[in-house]
Amino acid sequence: MKLLKASRRDSLLRDLRRVLPPDRVRVAPLERSIMGRDASIFEGGQAGPVCFPISTEEVQGCVDAARRHGRAVVPRGAGTGLAGGAVPLEEPVVVVTTKMNRLLSVDADQAVAWVQPGMINLDLSRALAPYGLHFAPDPSSQQVCSLGGNVGTNAGGPHCLALGVTSAHVLAVEVVLMSGEAVVLGDPDGCAPGLDLRGAYVGSEGMLGITTAIAVRLTPNPPAVQTLLLAFDSVDEAAQTVSAVIADGIVPAAIEMMDKNIIWAVENFVGAGFPLDAAAVVIVEVDGLPGGVAAEADRVAELALERGGRVRRAADDHERALIWKGRKSAFGAIAQIKPNYYLHDTVVPRTRLAEVMSRVYEIVEEHDLQVMNVFHAGDGNLHPLLLYDRREPGTLERVHAAGSAIIEASLAVGGVLSGEHGIGIEKRDFMPLMFSEADLDAQARLRRAFDPDEMANPGKVLPTGASCADVNTLGKIPEGVWG
Amino acid sequence: MNAKASLGIDPEELASCVACGLCLPHCPTFRVTGEEWASPRGRISAMRQIQDQGAAIDQAFLSSMDSCVQCRGCEPACPSGVPFGSMMEATQAALARERRIDWRRWGFRVLGYRRLLNLLSRVLAVVQRLRLVPSKRLGLPKIPLRQDRLRASGDDVWLFTGCVMDAWQRSTHAAVKRVVESAGVGVALPGSGAACCGALSLHAGLEDHARALAARTMGALAGSAPILVDSSGCGAVLKEYGMLVGTAEAEEFSERVMDVHEWLATRLDMLPPAGEQDQEATVAVHDPCHLRHVQRAHQSVAEVLARYATAVALDDDGLCCGAGGAYAAMQPELAASIRERKLEAIGRSGADIVASANPGCTIHLANAGVTVLHPLEIVDEMLGEILDQAADDDR
Amino acid sequence: MIGGKTRAALESFAAEVGSDSPVAVVGGRTHWDLGGHCLEETRLVRAPAGIREFDPADMTIRVGAGTPVEELDAALAEAGQQANLPLVPGATVGGVLAVGRDDVHALGRGRLRDALLEAVYVADDGRLVKAGGPTVKNVSGFDLCRLLVGSLGTLGLVGEVILRTWPRPAAQLWMAGQCDPAELRRKLYWPSSILWDGQTSWVHLEGHESDIESEAEQARLLGCDSTDGPPPLPAYRVPATALESERFPGRYLVQVGTGVAYVSEHGPLPDPDPAVVALHQRLKWQFDPRGRLNPGRDPLAAI
Repeated sequence: MKLLKASRRDSLLRDLRRVLPPDRVRVAPLERSIMGRDASIFEGGQAGPVCFPISTEEVQGCVDAARRHGRAVVPRGAGTGLAGGAVPLEEPVVVVTTKMNRLLSVDADQAVAWVQPGMINLDLSRALAPYGLHFAPDPSSQQVCSLGGNVGTNAGGPHCLALGVTSAHVLAVEVVLMSGEAVVLGDPDGCAPGLDLRGAYVGSEGMLGITTAIAVRLTPNPPAVQTLLLAFDSVDEAAQTVSAVIADGIVPAAIEMMDKNIIWAVENFVGAGFPLDAAAVVIVEVDGLPGGVAAEADRVAELALERGGRVRRAADDHERALIWKGRKSAFGAIAQIKPNYYLHDTVVPRTRLAEVMSRVYEIVEEHDLQVMNVFHAGDGNLHPLLLYDRREPGTLERVHAAGSAIIEASLAVGGVLSGEHGIGIEKRDFMPLMFSEADLDAQARLRRAFDPDEMANPGKVLPTGASCADVNTLGKIPEGVWG
Repeated sequence: MNAKASLGIDPEELASCVACGLCLPHCPTFRVTGEEWASPRGRISAMRQIQDQGAAIDQAFLSSMDSCVQCRGCEPACPSGVPFGSMMEATQAALARERRIDWRRWGFRVLGYRRLLNLLSRVLAVVQRLRLVPSKRLGLPKIPLRQDRLRASGDDVWLFTGCVMDAWQRSTHAAVKRVVESAGVGVALPGSGAACCGALSLHAGLEDHARALAARTMGALAGSAPILVDSSGCGAVLKEYGMLVGTAEAEEFSERVMDVHEWLATRLDMLPPAGEQDQEATVAVHDPCHLRHVQRAHQSVAEVLARYATAVALDDDGLCCGAGGAYAAMQPELAASIRERKLEAIGRSGADIVASANPGCTIHLANAGVTVLHPLEIVDEMLGEILDQAADDDR
Repeated sequence: MIGGKTRAALESFAAEVGSDSPVAVVGGRTHWDLGGHCLEETRLVRAPAGIREFDPADMTIRVGAGTPVEELDAALAEAGQQANLPLVPGATVGGVLAVGRDDVHALGRGRLRDALLEAVYVADDGRLVKAGGPTVKNVSGFDLCRLLVGSLGTLGLVGEVILRTWPRPAAQLWMAGQCDPAELRRKLYWPSSILWDGQTSWVHLEGHESDIESEAEQARLLGCDSTDGPPPLPAYRVPATALESERFPGRYLVQVGTGVAYVSEHGPLPDPDPAVVALHQRLKWQFDPRGRLNPGRDPLAAI
């Protein structure tokens, strides 16, 4: 029996190596086990053959081979996802797009660029600098995350408040479907008639196909920018200022909030000049033409002062860069306190921010944990970071319990499960808290229209039982994945 | 080799990686391969497989470890402060124990014997001229047939001269010495006691040998004078003697060590002023990894250079050039693809001269046809011109 | 949270739609024949109307899909806000979303498809289905909302939606002149609209007063002057690239930077990719296997 299984695997390998040269299909146990995880806390996924295609045709070849052998396919970019979306379950063929990392074309007049999915987010904006353009979504991992991954999770970032998340910046995607066909969804020029297949695809977490090229909409660099660092003596005042800014009819480019614990950790780590005596800081960035920028920055400062805040305006680009460095280094700075963290991601209506924040602090205390908050306050997108040491017995259970309570508290005020990390494995079983059986059935129908055999990244997003199709054996999460 | 083995990595260190992946773009081998096994995160995951899960050391593990340049570019990028360098050194030490016979065990020993090294170098220089060795492919520079002897000029500061650099690029030491002297201090030389800092041995996992070299080096650089180093790879290790040897004496020694630019940057006013022909030369500053990521003193090179030339920073976030001590010779293909990225960045800078404070980088980049000088060779040349001009003006 | 009253309205809408026989939802009938004619035996229903929930500080609004867009706009205007929906006279919120045509200001304000945060629709089997969520940012599950915009009611009949709202600009100005629209786009930072009919360019500026003045100065240098507003849009929407390859005898107006052109007459357009057509068929088969929702209408034919 074992022999038979081995020979089957070998013939899959043989077929894959007909499509790709041997050094781009990796099968050593170590190489496969390294691919068993992404940046989430889920360990113990197990990859089958790991493929590194460099063209759409090669991706098609990988999918064809996998289909012939009844194997699932999991696409992977830089592996920085936090919801376990790229964790392979039950030895699928893993298709890694990191070698497809070229900028294919730039049309500066039309503000459109075609990129390969493995291109790093920040590399794109750097390459566009000479044109005075950039790609707006800027997740905190932008120096490493791939654009294909951004499409997969419909990634956000601080500067998505005014400009919208990835979906609003993707005009078309070339996708290899699980039938092996390559198809362009959407229209890089604008508006071919038909359903918005592009929109349905963005954020589908690798479950509808594999992205092989992306037409991105480019954003002109703003002529004027002002960044304000607002410091408050209480989280409540900070949250109320955020609501007040939005209520005042200002949509800044970004509004980010950090609480005391994270301010201390960041100051230790990068020395961004954040006030150590503040209970919370809010970073507000306004950009655009100089008149509007000045007026909005003044108004934001006024609203902060009225609520007991202290206001510091970045005097130059250097100071501005330092403030953002502090914000973007936040997640890592935490490791100085505890070796592990669990980063949550829920969204609540902006008017309920203060209330949910205080609930988060209560929950964390009830579970005897430490928390730091650093998040996209302008969107109401919370990111509580629960700190723990996985070697301490029993902590992980407390972390999961607190996490569930935070999710429930967010949903209770009309919030949602995830703002930008996605569902993946992490929140798959929470989906019924937000969606009815009929809602989930509709999502499963979308899935089946693209991928009737449920071969692309099975076991993610949709809880088992959401689908009316035949029971899908690929979708089970094996023991031990919950690291 | 298929034995189960602990790698002897500190478990606290091994547990400290949270797999966020922020190191990936700062890793030269990940940048050119896009493959996780060639990234810090992948390598740590592999180390855990061996040490925590009891997996066997196999060829895939060896490739993953040996492909690491040990540039330590991942360390400043790591938000969790994972000490990757020390984990890799522990792993290499464990692998060296496993390998038993390795040419490096014998080869690096030569570095500690100055006369032998000089003799071999002269043989190599002759053989090179007879075109009997493929120098480019081996990543060798043109080795001089004869070198002038350096002479001490005082005892205010030590100049560490090292092994290969003294044997192959002694003229750089001479230039560095002249620049330091122009700040009005006397330079002492250690002689053959401080023949090698032990960096190459340490990176190859030969810790005992490295410790023996450290003991000899400390003996030869006695007293309390600052120890100036003009090779950033050596400087990084000398600064880590405290950790390597683990004695109070070694700690004190390490505190005396400074990169020569670091020392000069705080004494710029003691150097002669720039001449009137000022700053025509545009120099791209290449940051050697062990100056930038380990010593974190790379800014001082630009500060010193800027006084005499237009110094341009490269726009590649200090990504490694692929030289990595003996790396270019051990992993020629990866080293060359890593160098390609560096050459592109140099091209974008528009400069036609590159300054590098590390001999390994200098050799590796020069082999690709780039004009590379030690930063202080450039300063030395400028000072020469300035002094000539002053002499002309006096006339 | 959905109050009992609005839930009741949705449930009675669902009951009215039922689970068999062909059915279509009627809005303002402003684009009733877009993408084909509704089959004759089709039962017609109307979606619930009215503003359900609006807290200006959240900058989102929950409305019945049957609400006229003008009513929505008036309610938002009171709070100094607007939604990014085209203000087609007589059209309903559900109608403009089903049609999926962008507002004329799409260049600066963004696409219509990004305005929809949550939709509750009646599926082919008569069940109420929620797509998306009420917050401005949400990646919980697949993005069915995008699929509904421009679907002509062929995948589900939308009863209620939550839309993102925006501050109404402090000042605005339409200008027109005989100049190169590409040049206008290059010179101006963030115009909300540039239109071009082959000779005249129209440009819309909005934002802070002093910025509009400086931007208008740029436009004047290119030969533009203030004007009352944009010209009326011709009836058919085609990809702007079609203008290059096809002959269009009538009037046309290009919506610069969005890839859209409006034409008064049109010839045959290039056939869509068969793989794209197949995906449309499979989606229709999954969402409405009996073909009972808005029969006769086809999003692929909507020009």
